[in-house]
Amino acid sequence: MQRLPAALTACLWLACLNLGGSAHGEEVPRLTFAQLVDSLRANFDVTQTIKSYSGREVEIQGFIIPAGPPDLSFFLLSRVSAMGNYCCEVPVGQDETVYVYATKGVKILYDPLRIYRVRGAFEAGPHTDRTYGVSLFRVRNARVEEAVGAKIFKVGETTAPAPNK
Amino acid sequence: MTILTVALKYLRGRFVASALTAVSLTLGVSLVMASVLLARGIKEGFTEGTTDYSLVVGAKGSPTQLVLNVVFRMDVPTPNILYGTYRQLRDDPRVEVAVPVALGDAYQGFRFVATTGAYFAGFPWRRKVFEVSGGRLFRDDVPGQPTYEAVLGAEAARRTGLRIGDRFYEGEELAEYPLTVVGILRSTVSADDRAIFFSLASFWEMNEVSRKMKIKPLTAILVRAKRMSDLPSLHRGFNISTETQAVFPSAVLLGIFNLLSLAEEVLTVIVAAVAIVVLLYLFVSLYSATLERKREIATMRALGASRATILGIVLLESCVLASVGGAVGILGGHGVVYLGASLLAARSGLVMNVFRISALEPVVFGGVILLGALAGLLPAVLAYRTDVTENLAPLS
Repeated sequence: MQRLPAALTACLWLACLNLGGSAHGEEVPRLTFAQLVDSLRANFDVTQTIKSYSGREVEIQGFIIPAGPPDLSFFLLSRVSAMGNYCCEVPVGQDETVYVYATKGVKILYDPLRIYRVRGAFEAGPHTDRTYGVSLFRVRNARVEEAVGAKIFKVGETTAPAPNK
Repeated sequence: MTILTVALKYLRGRFVASALTAVSLTLGVSLVMASVLLARGIKEGFTEGTTDYSLVVGAKGSPTQLVLNVVFRMDVPTPNILYGTYRQLRDDPRVEVAVPVALGDAYQGFRFVATTGAYFAGFPWRRKVFEVSGGRLFRDDVPGQPTYEAVLGAEAARRTGLRIGDRFYEGEELAEYPLTVVGILRSTVSADDRAIFFSLASFWEMNEVSRKMKIKPLTAILVRAKRMSDLPSLHRGFNISTETQAVFPSAVLLGIFNLLSLAEEVLTVIVAAVAIVVLLYLFVSLYSATLERKREIATMRALGASRATILGIVLLESCVLASVGGAVGILGGHGVVYLGASLLAARSGLVMNVFRISALEPVVFGGVILLGALAGLLPAVLAYRTDVTENLAPLS
């Protein structure tokens, strides 16, 4: 019986550590497609606010468009699914597409109608890749997982989380 | 005499039982290796053999059929689309390269692929390199003036025995339009090794239906966009049309991989069951052998062998059987995969590299020895505990 308080204390410590871990996980800022579209300026320039995320770890949620090899070492992350010939609006282009360079061994069950969470080093601004051409927004060393119940924010929607949150 | 020599002598002493145990281990390991290597090989074959083009445009129908036929030369071609679709894509400012492809007919099972010289062109984004090992590529002849020049994939040339300058045709209908081999490609380790390429003009003239058509037919168009970000809109544009579809080849392959992973899960359960049965067999074999020779063990103990030595002998027997079964099983697994890969390559365009050695082999080998030792542990403990006085008592 004397061991019970010690065990309880240990459990509490573990729970605190676990909460700390979750809190740390949520510190990765989430960028939305609404923010990316809003950041676009003339001559393919982007705002300083978005540029300030460059080199930092960010999270972006969207649909996977497997425009690269089937090992998903490269793919496009889009606000709009590649499927659905009737339901969704036609994707616009650069501003609504993020070029994702994933770390090797992406292990997901690909579904064009599911939303995925991508975390990795963000880059903003025009860049030309030898293989995949010109891009505006990129995520490198990305890790991919399914984002259950996620919502994709469109331009003009005010529910998008504020930057740095 | 070392304990290994004693263990080997014991195994030789009951040769039939030992051989049968090793064979069952070999079969089990072969099954595990073959299933893992085949599943991995099929995925890698699809990944490495896929096209560098991001989009395939074809007639409405099954996306899987379109990709498997155009990229891997499996299945039958999808219905035709009109040449106008190619012109539309060629003139689209978002498109960097559009390559028209027409498929149909074959020579000795090697599919005819009618296309333009752009199919073989090198680009900075292209992994696949086309080079001729002999001769040259066919000329992009003008419609109505076909030259019937053909370029053979490496495997097609090897299997058919055709050489540069040879004329060939298959079937009565095509006898009027024999093709002439002008070049042979180096291997690209893809379905293109098993194809026979020639110009669209030759293809249209060889076929009665297309000969009469004013606007010529195509099977598909391979598309590379200038900007990847234009692909979603290009894709959508063709898919809202009632006649054409655009498909991301990787999306189709990922769908196939999803199905494969389901099959892999089922296979894992079967393989695990087989492994348990094989280990139980090894355990029963060693256990009964230990029971049979309790008297011998007691004699050895009486002659000065320690309990640890007895334990070591039985464990070594188990490890030797596991090593033999593991090594031969790994080789056997590769053999089965080689046969499977040859069959797949002969019947489809899927090329698998079966001779690639990875971390799998040492892991499986080590795992088999470890599990073998585990299966031999209880018989070894039984031998270890063998009572000398009880087992050396007169049998009567």
